[in-house]
Amino acid sequence: MRNKIIGIAILLLIIGGTFAFLVLNGKNNAKGPAPSKTVTVLKGYIGSEKEGLLSDPAIQNLLKNDFGVQLDYAKAGSIAMVEGSTKGQDFLFPSSQTALEIFKQKQPDAIAANRVEFNSPLVLYSWDTVTNALIKQGIVQERNGTDYVVDMPKLISMVNSGKKWADIGLPSLYGNVNIQSTDPTQSNSGNQFAGLLADILNNGQVVDDSTVQKVLPQIKTYFGKQGYQQTGSGDIFEQYLTTGVGAYPLIVGYENQLIEFAAQNPQKWQQVKSKMRILYPVPTVWSSHTFIALNDKAKVGLNALASTKIQNLAWTKHGFRSGDANVVNDTSKLPVSGIPSSIDQVIGVPKPSVMDTIINALKAH
Amino acid sequence: MKKISILLMALILLISLLSGCSALSQKDNRANTFTILSASENKEIEPIIQQFAKANHINIQMDYKGSVDIMQALKKPSGYDAVWPANSMWITMGDTKHVVKLQKSIMTSPVVFGIRKSVAQKLGFVGKNVSIKDILKAIQTKKLTFAMTSATQSNSGASAYIGFLSALLGDPQTITSAQLQNPGLRDQMRTLLSGVDRSSGSSEWLKNLYLKGHYDAMVNYESVIISTNQELTKQGREPLYVVYPQDGLSIADSPLGYVDNGNASKEGQFKKLQNYLLSDKIQRELLKYGRRTGIGGTVTNASSKVFNPNWGIDTQRVLSPIHMPSADVIRSALDLYQTGLRKPSFTVYCLDFSGSMAGGGQDQVVKAMDLLLNQNKAKSSYLQASPQDITVVIPFSDHVKAEWSVDGNSEQQLMTLDNQIKNLDADGGTDIYSPVMDGIKKLSSVDLSKYSPAVILMTDGQSNTGRTFNDLKRTWQQAGKDIPVFSITFGDASDAQLNKISDLTNAAVFDGRTDLVAAFKKAKGYN
Repeated sequence: MRNKIIGIAILLLIIGGTFAFLVLNGKNNAKGPAPSKTVTVLKGYIGSEKEGLLSDPAIQNLLKNDFGVQLDYAKAGSIAMVEGSTKGQDFLFPSSQTALEIFKQKQPDAIAANRVEFNSPLVLYSWDTVTNALIKQGIVQERNGTDYVVDMPKLISMVNSGKKWADIGLPSLYGNVNIQSTDPTQSNSGNQFAGLLADILNNGQVVDDSTVQKVLPQIKTYFGKQGYQQTGSGDIFEQYLTTGVGAYPLIVGYENQLIEFAAQNPQKWQQVKSKMRILYPVPTVWSSHTFIALNDKAKVGLNALASTKIQNLAWTKHGFRSGDANVVNDTSKLPVSGIPSSIDQVIGVPKPSVMDTIINALKAH
Repeated sequence: MKKISILLMALILLISLLSGCSALSQKDNRANTFTILSASENKEIEPIIQQFAKANHINIQMDYKGSVDIMQALKKPSGYDAVWPANSMWITMGDTKHVVKLQKSIMTSPVVFGIRKSVAQKLGFVGKNVSIKDILKAIQTKKLTFAMTSATQSNSGASAYIGFLSALLGDPQTITSAQLQNPGLRDQMRTLLSGVDRSSGSSEWLKNLYLKGHYDAMVNYESVIISTNQELTKQGREPLYVVYPQDGLSIADSPLGYVDNGNASKEGQFKKLQNYLLSDKIQRELLKYGRRTGIGGTVTNASSKVFNPNWGIDTQRVLSPIHMPSADVIRSALDLYQTGLRKPSFTVYCLDFSGSMAGGGQDQVVKAMDLLLNQNKAKSSYLQASPQDITVVIPFSDHVKAEWSVDGNSEQQLMTLDNQIKNLDADGGTDIYSPVMDGIKKLSSVDLSKYSPAVILMTDGQSNTGRTFNDLKRTWQQAGKDIPVFSITFGDASDAQLNKISDLTNAAVFDGRTDLVAAFKKAKGYN
């Protein structure tokens, strides 16, 4: 009897040992990161242009090690995310204060805290041949031999005139002179471009409640002719880069996208830098990337992103200027030239209620 | 004695433990499989994926579907880890749940016309800028027919179709819903699509069809035309000449995106795979497969054996595509194609209702046919009938049990047909040849410039009585027309018998054993 008990005990040991082996082995196979101290996982939506930043292991490690926080994100358009359901989310990270204001109206009690973490001006991306053609038309100018500026009112009026690329000396490009943007009803860069367009159509005055109806028909016409539009600013930039001048002669983007691309793909940047052009619209608008904490737990994310270490990396590797208007970012630390140290000639985006009127009109289209 | 009993117990326990182990590791394997929902033309480059899988000890499974199906699949939880359609447009339209991230274009390829070089020469297309209008003229004067994938099933077909619309509308900045209503446009479009001699649900399969048969031209990706030409050259046959229609071009940007199911190790695997595919080494490798890689739309270091100028391939040309219409307009354009513009289908379904189908098999066939005949359901897969379609159903066992036919798309008549199928009994032996021969005879009198014909045979058993393959072959040859007989296998169906029919008739065999309903959908997508 005693032998039997010993036998069973030995067997149990074998079983236990084998299980322990299996479990440990399974862990090794998974090759997951070793679990460290407690990490707060925050779930939330981000605009696609910040995916490069938030998927950067350097940023992720800083967040985890210095602040004990991990941002578990899904991509969504900045407007779409504040208008949709935020159930189960800890934060929203849209690309503008317009989005924040819309959210304030929709869910006034849902905001625990918010902060502008980064700023980036709206720019146009183009190619050498197109830029040269636009210089000949007197629409683009080289400024101080370092960067390019676009006379936006002139460019918009050329687009509205229905001129073809072939008419300005670019016969290999199909179709009309056009500025491609993301969907203004879903994504922030498109949305802000719609705001900028509204101001320009209003003779360079910020559109308000009294003037919005006047420019609305023209804005509707403009976007009605755009057809298929991407819903993320990151996606349109990616396609611009891949398919090139034939498919994307001129697009709307954020300044940070070029810097991020050059920092992350030094080799590809070498291949393409003589052809790619970043054009600064005059006037332009700021895109203010605003972190919205939906609960107290998420405030740690808000503070972490504002820390100097993250802010520095965000500038040199991802091209986001500081969310603090008093900070002047140092362009000598960037991997690219042609980036002005400060952005002037900025116009305000129409206030949120006016933008809402514009978005709703475009949705109804 | 005690020792023996202990030993015995130990043995029993060990065995149970070991079997437990293997069950555990199997489960582990499944969790370790990385599944990619991919466009069919990526099949050619699967070796590159599997190389990576092997080196990294990841089990990668590619599941090939048409881009439209991929778009629909994204709308509900699918269990896929990554998605890889031909064009990012399908992700934008399908990812309403925001599950796709880290999306990057891996390579590009324009959708082009590949025309037999001698035919292209005769048409004056060689070395010239060719427009859709030039192609339309060639079709109207019956100088050109072409094969093209179904616009409602596959990206290459959809892209070409939208390119045609844009050109026929006189190059608007973008196509609007209002313009689609234009009756003149519809007539011209029908004429253009009447030039389609064969359709298909997949770009990759269209290449195989081209190689099997004798066709003049096909619409496909530049990369597929290249691989077709490599095969044609090997066989000593005439290559296809690539025409880039200047007013109706589109580019597949082949985005690979991660489907976020909240599994960090899968996300890690995905990033690794994506970085691998975008690495210099693999980007150069992809060039050898006729995919355009590189940045800014320019191809450098491409071999002229692959991007062969004699085939009309032009890597220096700036590829300037049309601007795709908005998602709503794309959807209505696809509906319009399916119900009004495509060449009408004349489809003969031969359905096995022999004894072995009783129960489960019968239920699934009924369900599959309901999906195609119930127009509300068919619509969600863009498989609804058009007013000109003709649908024939021939249920059979060892004899033909009935023959029912519906002209057009009357919902009521199609529902009646649906009910007739529901009320069938399954009994008797199996003769697959007699019903198919009836179908071929029916189709042989049809004007193939007006209809796209197909027999779709579904069977679960070996044909063991009645007619033979040679009888069928004779009937098919006597008909003297390009009538494909597609087969769907179920249960104990004989792949050998069905492959023979498919080889004879330039068709395909679809495996319905894992998912019969999906196989019916697929087969219908080819017609």
